[in-house]
Amino acid sequence: MRLYEFEGKRLFKQFGIPIPDGELASTPDQAAEAATVIGPSALKSQVLTGGRGKAGGIKIADNVDSARRLATDLFKLTIKGFPVERLLIEPKLDIAREYYIGVTIDRANYKIVVIASGEGGMDIEETAAKHPDKIVRKSYSIVEPLYGFDALGIAKKIGIPAELTKQATAIIQNLYRLFKAYDAKMAEINPLVLTKDGKLIAADSRISLDDDALFRHPDLKEQGIEKRHEEGELTPRERQATEWDIPYLDLDGDIGMFPGGAGFGIMGNDFIHYYGGRPANFMDSGGGPSPENIARMLVLLDENPNVKAIFGARFGGISRCDDFAKGVIMFLKNHGLSKPMVVRMTGNMWQEGVRLFDEAKKENPRLMEKIEFHGIETPIEEISKRAVELARIERGR
Amino acid sequence: MAILVDKKSKVIVQGITGGAGKFHCERMIAYGTNIVGGTSPGKGGQKVLDKPVFDTVEEAVMSTGADTSVIFLPAQFVKEATIEAIRAGIKFLVVVPEHIPIHDMLVVREEAVKYDATVIGGNTAGIITPGEANLGIMPDIAFTPGRVGTVSRSGSITYYVADTLTRTGYGETTCVGLGGDPVLGSTFAEILWKFEQDDKTKAVVMTGEIGGVYEEQACDTIRKMKTPVLAMIGGIYAPPGKRMGHAGAIVEGRMGTAQEKLDALAAAGAHPCKTFEDIPRTLRKLGV
Repeated sequence: MRLYEFEGKRLFKQFGIPIPDGELASTPDQAAEAATVIGPSALKSQVLTGGRGKAGGIKIADNVDSARRLATDLFKLTIKGFPVERLLIEPKLDIAREYYIGVTIDRANYKIVVIASGEGGMDIEETAAKHPDKIVRKSYSIVEPLYGFDALGIAKKIGIPAELTKQATAIIQNLYRLFKAYDAKMAEINPLVLTKDGKLIAADSRISLDDDALFRHPDLKEQGIEKRHEEGELTPRERQATEWDIPYLDLDGDIGMFPGGAGFGIMGNDFIHYYGGRPANFMDSGGGPSPENIARMLVLLDENPNVKAIFGARFGGISRCDDFAKGVIMFLKNHGLSKPMVVRMTGNMWQEGVRLFDEAKKENPRLMEKIEFHGIETPIEEISKRAVELARIERGR
Repeated sequence: MAILVDKKSKVIVQGITGGAGKFHCERMIAYGTNIVGGTSPGKGGQKVLDKPVFDTVEEAVMSTGADTSVIFLPAQFVKEATIEAIRAGIKFLVVVPEHIPIHDMLVVREEAVKYDATVIGGNTAGIITPGEANLGIMPDIAFTPGRVGTVSRSGSITYYVADTLTRTGYGETTCVGLGGDPVLGSTFAEILWKFEQDDKTKAVVMTGEIGGVYEEQACDTIRKMKTPVLAMIGGIYAPPGKRMGHAGAIVEGRMGTAQEKLDALAAAGAHPCKTFEDIPRTLRKLGV
């Protein structure tokens, strides 16, 4: 979960990392007011995505009038799907040099890594790719602290001037402490600015926290930092799915996908492509959903006008086939299916699932007439092929 | 033979008195898994499904000789539960819960390496040696004893691969779920190497997916293996998704697309498969 720049900087301050004295603004008037106090300022859009500089999301205002005018323009911007709702107004810095310091996780080697460079401010990935010699990289075990001598070594290697190494050492150690204290996946200062009057200051923050560890940081919630959606603007169906807690993504094809767990959610989409069709969505319908949520998943697909046919699969593991059958029947009774659907069901509790379907059919023989139903005897590839075929037939109508 | 678990494994369930723990424990026992007891702090002395419950893993190990544990606990308790088990002498742990904090998994890994224990998961469907032992949440119907090993990050894919191997008469030696969480207790490379050392495993099917680094990391091991490896990667047609920012990308190198992962594995000598039906076709070609 990404933090906004201003949130990250608040954590920097809490950990003794120097930041510029900035103010938040939600209106052009507030921006102008902040500029009155601050003087020449940087107006920085607060959005949960990178590349805002290139997208025109940062402006420099030399006076109050231009601050108001530039803020008015910035508030009209949408950067990679994120509307600009707040600006961070900070004093314009006189930059002598820029450094990069980051802490992240090396998942392959199970280590925490400190990365630093004497060339900050720009795209650090590019620097790493083109000039790996300009990057300092050191790995640590999670159960160890980052010692002062280590941080000092890093500061010297990236060319921090001798009189500032003590301060830089503290900044690196404090960033590392922050990273561990808040269960971060990534904590970056980019750039760490050396000002012309000889001060080190964190000019930007980029922090990404582990959603799964938020439960042990209740203080973040008090600061208004809560689990957030960070994928830019959602389609109406994606928004609906989020409300129902269903992992769902709209795609541009016409086969509604209802495939089981996340792994087969991804691969099932591949199969549809492989057999010449195009999925209308990605969905993770696994993890033991309730019958209610199964029914809701079908609502998402059936009400999508792009969907011509539905591909369904259930391999009961933690998810139970009886719950799956209950959900499908609930949907058929309350809503009704308007698209042809082919489904395969097997795994835990499959006998009970089949019994529920048989019973429902006995009660109302027409209930399942749009569904072609298969068990373990039919390979899943056949189901994928059939879904592609059904969609083709529907398109031809 | 099999890897990591067989009918002789003495298994405890940490969290045996919980809803999921009890439900799946019953299934595991019905399968024939040698469950010797379980733990639940404060409930020592009780019995669940006719198996003794202990307060601590140490007590469970002392009185049953347990060497394997399946964990069914909420994610926030997993770190402590695994460390407890590892320090009590458990050598193989199956971590079923998902959403375990990443920093916790780093600590678990340190501990496992220090004590020479193997952890699979979090967010794993478990492990099964068909006909001998089933640990976790995998549906019995998909599996049958045989000669191909499988290792996968996704539960649902594990089921489909086994379903295919079962239907085409190959059967499985052991099926391992690595887990779907971002930081896992074991890697593809480590599990593949265990299969390499198992005489009964004549081929291994590994299935990965877009994102992460564990697939590419397996290449060096595949190069050293005599046992053929078949590889499937999900997400070949996935639309470009989220990109990991900056520092992460430097550490992990270029985040491979599914096709790049598959190409890397093929270059290391693995046999790429596009659909499940390609698996038996490839096995036949290899004379397995």
